Amino acid sequence: MEEKIGVYICECGPNIAENVDIDKVINVVSSLPSVGIVERHKLLCSEDGKKFLKQSIQEHGLTRLVIAACSPKQHEATFMKVCEEAGLNPHLFQLVNIREQCAWIIEDKERATDRATRYVRAALRRIPYHQPLEKREIDCNPDVLVIGGGITGIETSLLLAGPDRKVYLVEKTSFLGGKLREFEKLAPGMESTDKLLKHKIKNVEESENIKVFTNAEVKGVIGFLGNFIAVVKTGENEELEIKVGSVVVATGFDLFDPTKIPRYGYSKFDDVYTSLEFEKMNLNGKILLKNGQPPKSIAIIHCVGREERGYCSAVCCSYSLKFARYLKARFPDVKVSNLYTELSVPGKVYQKFYEETKAMGVDFIRAREIEIKEKVIKYLTEDEKEQNLAVDMVILTPAIQPSSDASKLAEMLKISQDEKGFFAEEHEKLGPVSTSMEGIFIAGCAQGPRNIADSIIQAEAVAGKILSSIIPGKKLEPEARTSEISEALCIGCQTCLEVCAYGAIYFDEIKRVSVVNEILCRGCGNCAASCPSGAASLKHFTATQIHQEVVEALR
Amino acid sequence: MANILKISKNAEEGLRELLRFLLEKKRVKAVFTLRKINENSAVSYSLITDSEMLKDALPLFPLMPQNAGKLLSRLTLKEHLLEPTAAVVRPCELRAFIELVKRKQGSLDNFIFISTTCPGTYPLELSTNGDIWKKLPEYEMCVKEGDIVPDIRPVCQACEHFIPYSADMTIALIGKKDVDKSCEIFLNTEKAEKLIEGMDGELSEGELETKEIKKLHSKRQEKKKELFKEINVESLGLSGLIETFGRCIGCHGCGRVCPICYCVLCDFDSRDYECEPSTYESELKKRGGMRVPPNTVLYQLGRLTHVSVSCVGCGMCTDVCPADIPISTIFLKVGEEVQNLFNYIPGKSVEEAIPLTKYEKEEFAEVED
Amino acid sequence: MKGARVAVKDSIEKTVLNILSKAIDKKLFDVILIPIMVPAGDSYAWVLAQDKSLLDSASSLPPIMSVQGAKALSSVTRMGKTNKKIAALMRPCEIRAVIELSKLSQIELDNIFLISMDCPGVLPLKDWLKDPTKGINSFRKVIQRFVDGDPEPDQSVRPVCTICHRFYDSSAVDLHIGILGKKGEYIFFIPHTTQAETIFAELGLSFKDDISHWQNGVDEVLKQRKKKRSLVQEELKPEVIGLDKLLDTFSNCINCHICQSVCPICYCRQCYFDSDKVKQPPDDYLMRAESKGNISLPPDKILFHLGRMSHMALSCVGCGACEDACPMSIKVAQIFSLIADRSQELFNYIPGESLEEPLPLRVFEEDELHEVETP
Repeated sequence: MEEKIGVYICECGPNIAENVDIDKVINVVSSLPSVGIVERHKLLCSEDGKKFLKQSIQEHGLTRLVIAACSPKQHEATFMKVCEEAGLNPHLFQLVNIREQCAWIIEDKERATDRATRYVRAALRRIPYHQPLEKREIDCNPDVLVIGGGITGIETSLLLAGPDRKVYLVEKTSFLGGKLREFEKLAPGMESTDKLLKHKIKNVEESENIKVFTNAEVKGVIGFLGNFIAVVKTGENEELEIKVGSVVVATGFDLFDPTKIPRYGYSKFDDVYTSLEFEKMNLNGKILLKNGQPPKSIAIIHCVGREERGYCSAVCCSYSLKFARYLKARFPDVKVSNLYTELSVPGKVYQKFYEETKAMGVDFIRAREIEIKEKVIKYLTEDEKEQNLAVDMVILTPAIQPSSDASKLAEMLKISQDEKGFFAEEHEKLGPVSTSMEGIFIAGCAQGPRNIADSIIQAEAVAGKILSSIIPGKKLEPEARTSEISEALCIGCQTCLEVCAYGAIYFDEIKRVSVVNEILCRGCGNCAASCPSGAASLKHFTATQIHQEVVEALR
Repeated sequence: MANILKISKNAEEGLRELLRFLLEKKRVKAVFTLRKINENSAVSYSLITDSEMLKDALPLFPLMPQNAGKLLSRLTLKEHLLEPTAAVVRPCELRAFIELVKRKQGSLDNFIFISTTCPGTYPLELSTNGDIWKKLPEYEMCVKEGDIVPDIRPVCQACEHFIPYSADMTIALIGKKDVDKSCEIFLNTEKAEKLIEGMDGELSEGELETKEIKKLHSKRQEKKKELFKEINVESLGLSGLIETFGRCIGCHGCGRVCPICYCVLCDFDSRDYECEPSTYESELKKRGGMRVPPNTVLYQLGRLTHVSVSCVGCGMCTDVCPADIPISTIFLKVGEEVQNLFNYIPGKSVEEAIPLTKYEKEEFAEVED
Repeated sequence: MKGARVAVKDSIEKTVLNILSKAIDKKLFDVILIPIMVPAGDSYAWVLAQDKSLLDSASSLPPIMSVQGAKALSSVTRMGKTNKKIAALMRPCEIRAVIELSKLSQIELDNIFLISMDCPGVLPLKDWLKDPTKGINSFRKVIQRFVDGDPEPDQSVRPVCTICHRFYDSSAVDLHIGILGKKGEYIFFIPHTTQAETIFAELGLSFKDDISHWQNGVDEVLKQRKKKRSLVQEELKPEVIGLDKLLDTFSNCINCHICQSVCPICYCRQCYFDSDKVKQPPDDYLMRAESKGNISLPPDKILFHLGRMSHMALSCVGCGACEDACPMSIKVAQIFSLIADRSQELFNYIPGESLEEPLPLRVFEEDELHEVETP
């Protein structure tokens, strides 16, 4: 079949037209073989421009398309869609960037024009090697696996469960509720936890569409978005295979171990407690010293482990205020001192909570080099003065850190951990609850220290993502520009497998070759780059395609 | 009777002048020939576009670092030449290229072939110490006398096809007593005659095949008989093959440098020949032992099967063999026998199809029951 | 560490062969992978010997390395592990290549028992082929000189053998046979694994002997070798540093790729530089010719060598198979091991030393190689 390539040069308003002599480019390009038509247009990405392109493709019977315009990041998808609508395979199209890479960076018009011509020529040399990659569709399983039965896991489960979508909730302890189970009240409203938690747990347990496994552990997860298979070891020591389409990691946190900082005196002196221990004491109604007496003077030490961990745990100041309230409620005359390095009460409600607590006569002291001794705390004030504070109980607020089995789970799910050990989100702003593995989401303190409200927000975010992307009956469209490994050339060294960040390559033990899972493949090209023989290559970015483009660009 | 252009310079200088003329007058876009590439006198094939570079050209240097047919095939594998190129190659290299063209591994379009009556080439070994330079006077003398040059590749000493079949121009060398003073370029085609129009030199007529050439031909035939007697291929049998190829290390270097071996991935390197554990186990059970890596002799037999009908006896294989196996002698013998069966001379004419691709109903009745 | 001191009867080679033969007898191994003399008597080939009689023409320390042992073993277990118990007796550099290939899934080490022996070097193949009988005799002298403790290596071996600093055991081997230290009167069987102890105990070897004589012997030779290696590599540097020098050194290269095909580490089924990806239309080559006035053909010879270097240098064991096979006598092994040494140093990586240590290419370290970052 005769190739007929269409070349369209966008003026991009004045952006390109003013800096590149488009007519000159058209002149050079028109004489090249296989080029059927070369035209210019004021603004190809406009509605009018897109209509014009679609008509042109159909009218001229174009077999391949080159557009010289802005950055592919900006409009490659736009024009690919136009191709599709016009009946041209969207991969038989190349977008040449003569704006960011040309018009906007070269002042001299002649040089810019020369550069633009080069790039278009290079694209024209590349495009005959483009393959009409096929769109793929896969069925997806709408069900969800939620790992962790704390407030985040509970909330996520309730939001997602429905007759079309089953949720499997796996919790390693015998109870649902997580850390919240041991909180009497919640800041800043000081409402009883029960109000929030009890009925949610009831809803979960009574839901037909949520299956809860307590005393259970996830042993392995394989598969990909829409098609995961998880193996769960249940409380009865059975191993169950569960098929889901997405996974939510809501495994919460552990507290930093204060024995790591000996000056805080934890487990050295009596009556030094961590915040969780104190919450439990409070819930049981037993805020007493070891000697059975009620405390008279209590110090709440903030920022325990903050320096060591390298971040602020976001919630300690807030719940310290809550602790002060607990104490003042039970012992109106008790002296409560808060020793902090920095005070953090962000958001619209906590400032008031803080000021009211302070007004109750609770002390807030900015202290450094805090040292807990027997019933006395030594510290340095802001202006370097040494002070002693006599107390009979110390409550430490240790940093929130990833739970101890986070690494094991991360490895199992092939998701990353950040440098602090929390599960890593795909991007702070562009993907705050997604991970590098499509279909696996993270929420709550598993992702980083946050309060209950924010954890619930994240649960809602995850639910939103799942509800909008894995719709029952929906077909998913995985990446078309994937890697492929030639069975004839592959000799099974598995280097590609080792460098694949997405777990998208598996080793066929019988054929002794590596094989790409095209659904999981993100087209990053690591495998192709690491394969010494070229057995692995990236569709749409083959060595030949790139070589042809470079050679022409340098001619 | 053919037209001859005679240049009053020694053969190599004359040829250089011809190439210079063709480039400078833009009759060709590029010239393909041997060239000295550095101070240490290393010689390599080159594609030359700047006539200045021709001062280092050594078109008649008696070295074959690669079979040029393989290089011309690499050059025109993806597409034919868009502009004329003059290629100085030996008769066997030209034949090899034509055999490759028949297999769609290259294109003849836009080539101007310049060859010689070929005195042979020295083994690669001799080029590592610069020894070839020392041997040039002896080489020239044998060329003049029409004698077999001693120390050239054994298959060169035994080569009968030293007159090019399809070159546009042939430089007469063998038996020319004045080869150090005059360069005689035989113009074999109309193309050749057009190309040299306007060039300084004497035009005359003559026959390429002189009596010296005929004499050398018989000398070479004798030499071939001797060579084949040294390795009596017919008497080898499987045990003989095993003895001869016993020291083969399976490097496949012979296949790599052979112009006719054009496969991108040799079957013997592919998965087809990987040994599964079950294979070893059954071999061990049957025979109590197994040589590994396997298929040493099988590779040679396979290559013989695939290549022999087109083998031009260039001798690259023997030169590169790390185990000093006289591969080219064996392949030349088997090659000739196979070619005789089909009355086929590889590379003689591009129109003649490879026997494998031709079906004759009446053939080999003698092997039928 | 302790070993078993064994008295040498006849020759070191024969002593070792006898013990291996007994091992087959007692079915401690099913198969021995060992070089056996070919029918024509002019070379040695690797043979999986199950039948004991095959060992009659075997050599435990052959004068040549016709095929790099790791290549031979890889052809046996590339497609899956063997069910037979195979004892492979190889030179230290071959064992190291085996370990590297194992990390590349080209050799499955299950059921394979690795045995190495102190190595005096091997004769270049071409020299040997000139007169194999003479070769056998001259190699005996090489062995004797080595075990006598002569720190100067015999010059008749491969050039890279004369500067080899890994002629003794790798930690990854199962059993090592030390031949240095006792001038060839005694050799030492040194087990690295409990399996080795158990198996060889059945042959009457008890690993209670002091091996300090051998250790000293190794140290003595190693000291000199390290010095020599440094010296020779320093002398080589001016021949290869800078593209011009490199081009000169490889100017005789005919691009036959035999160095790649005999290299144990080069495991690709099809070398990238042979693939379709590097084959361009004539226009390409013409354009390149025009930019410099000419282009050498075949093109990109140096690119092949640099590419090969970048792919295998981190695992190069300096065996010298490449240089031995090069038809143009280019110092391939010396050049490649010069670069390999430096690259391996960068990553603190010794190829073939430990099965557990992953290949540097596969390990991501965030904090690394700051010296090559732009400040």
